[in-house]
Amino acid sequence: MNSLKLLPRRIFAFVARDFRLFVSYRMQFVLRVISILAVVTTLFFISKIFAGFTDPQFAQWRDPLATWLTGLAVLNYFMTGFSSLANSIRQEQMQGTLESVLLTPINLPTVIVSSSAWDFLETTFFSFLYLFFGRVFFGVHYRGSFFLAVVFLLLTTVVLACLGILSASFAMVFKRGDPFGIFLGAGSALFSGVFFPTQLLKTYAGPKLGNISLLLPTTHGLDGIRQVLIEGHGLAEVTTPLFTLFGFLVVLLPFSLWVFGRAVRRAKREGSLIQY
Amino acid sequence: MDRAISIRNLSKTYPVPFRRLRAFFRRPVKEPVEALREVSFDVNTGEIFGLIGRNGAGKTTLTKIVATLVQPTTGSVSVRGHDSVDDDEHVRREIGLSTAEERSFYWRLTAEQNLMFFARLHGLSDRAAKQRIRELFSRIELDEVARRRFGELSTGNKQRLAVARAMLSAPPVLLLDEPTRSLDPLAAARLREMIRSLAQQDPPITVFLTSHNLAEVETLCERVAIISRGQIRAIDTPRNLRDLTSDSEMVHITVAAGEKISFTRQHNDDRLDETIRKLQSEGQKIIDIETERPTLLDVLERYEAADERR
Repeated sequence: MNSLKLLPRRIFAFVARDFRLFVSYRMQFVLRVISILAVVTTLFFISKIFAGFTDPQFAQWRDPLATWLTGLAVLNYFMTGFSSLANSIRQEQMQGTLESVLLTPINLPTVIVSSSAWDFLETTFFSFLYLFFGRVFFGVHYRGSFFLAVVFLLLTTVVLACLGILSASFAMVFKRGDPFGIFLGAGSALFSGVFFPTQLLKTYAGPKLGNISLLLPTTHGLDGIRQVLIEGHGLAEVTTPLFTLFGFLVVLLPFSLWVFGRAVRRAKREGSLIQY
Repeated sequence: MDRAISIRNLSKTYPVPFRRLRAFFRRPVKEPVEALREVSFDVNTGEIFGLIGRNGAGKTTLTKIVATLVQPTTGSVSVRGHDSVDDDEHVRREIGLSTAEERSFYWRLTAEQNLMFFARLHGLSDRAAKQRIRELFSRIELDEVARRRFGELSTGNKQRLAVARAMLSAPPVLLLDEPTRSLDPLAAARLREMIRSLAQQDPPITVFLTSHNLAEVETLCERVAIISRGQIRAIDTPRNLRDLTSDSEMVHITVAAGEKISFTRQHNDDRLDETIRKLQSEGQKIIDIETERPTLLDVLERYEAADERR
């Protein structure tokens, strides 16, 4: 049987394993659901302060609660795309289980992809909760094509996964102190427009600092999704963020795979693959 | 005879990461560690082969290179004809590795769930995996703890679970790193018996065993390699290795009168026969005969002492 045919079984093995580990910590799940509800409720009350005061130039921010909730839900997803690959390696290294996993006839890329599968399922659920609580308890309405929003979500996640591959490569060689994580983790909340319009950055911090947001794939992904879900735009109106994300993908995918190959070879040569 | 494992001119030096960069910033730079030097030997199909040596002699590095976890600096390893670097995925289909490392399992999963996960990675269907796990639990006497979390198992049961995991995909080559280290004497004896039976089954399983228990190596292994400071110093049957140290043995005979007769004899000489005949002709009843032979420990000490003198 070839590796491709066995891939679904292997992904299932990791998902089943992680699900069992997840349910062995039941309290954590309950607390996380409660904390999401608390965040959504808090944002609802903050949004009431701005009711009727939104500047007409910020079309996406007419209903700040809807904008924050899409921002948080989507950022949560993006961060998983970015961080779960490196985290999966780091976690197996720290637990000491990476060696036994690598002793099975499975290659390292399959280990990384499969072991982050549960993270995506978990994040999909929790991201959905932001939107669900917003809609059920606070009457937030989304419009536009959900299919197009999902296309943006997937495309941005894949672009961030390329950065995640670079981060995983870094974790393999340097073990800790990943610069991609610091840049994207801290940078996305500040520069991507999760909590406030990116235009404000240019106004208050000048064009140089304001343009940093354009370097982040999360900015374009978030903008595309909000254009679709909040402004109700169709495909013809969202080509700019769509093509920008494709541009990121074309550059980052081959580069990240090349770096990853080199990192694996180096770790095997140094015998440090299982160290953390 | 078919070769299960072929090792040719294998050397491994662990490089120091970012050595030149450290030197550039005038930071202290460690020397690269030479773990293996020009190692060459074969392990035959169906053989139980032992590797002994002190801590840090290179046993773990050698095992890890055979298991494809570490790449050699020079030389090659092939397992049943597959190269451990170029065809590593295929090599991993042919081997099972059991280590004494407890952290290689998921502590919050049960023994059964742990093996199920690894069986799926090996590509076994759920049905085949469940059957195989049942077989192994019964063979290695783990039935009673199958549904217990790994973290709750005794050290001995954790060790046995590691052996069960190595055998999950029924690999033709088993690499066993101190398989009986934490077992009680009875459990250790039963596991040794099982290891012996593996080499006798059809098709036979090749066992590559590393251990600090020299008595175990002597009883189980057909051939033994002695490794010291990354070099293989001797490979032979345990008996021939012992003879390298001394070809004589001390014999103690106790007779009914309580008298003890001791003498030194060369292997295969007639002194023992002659003494027994003489005692019998004198009407003495022999109660006990003990022999003191050099052990593998004597052999190991001899090579270590020679290395230290160098």
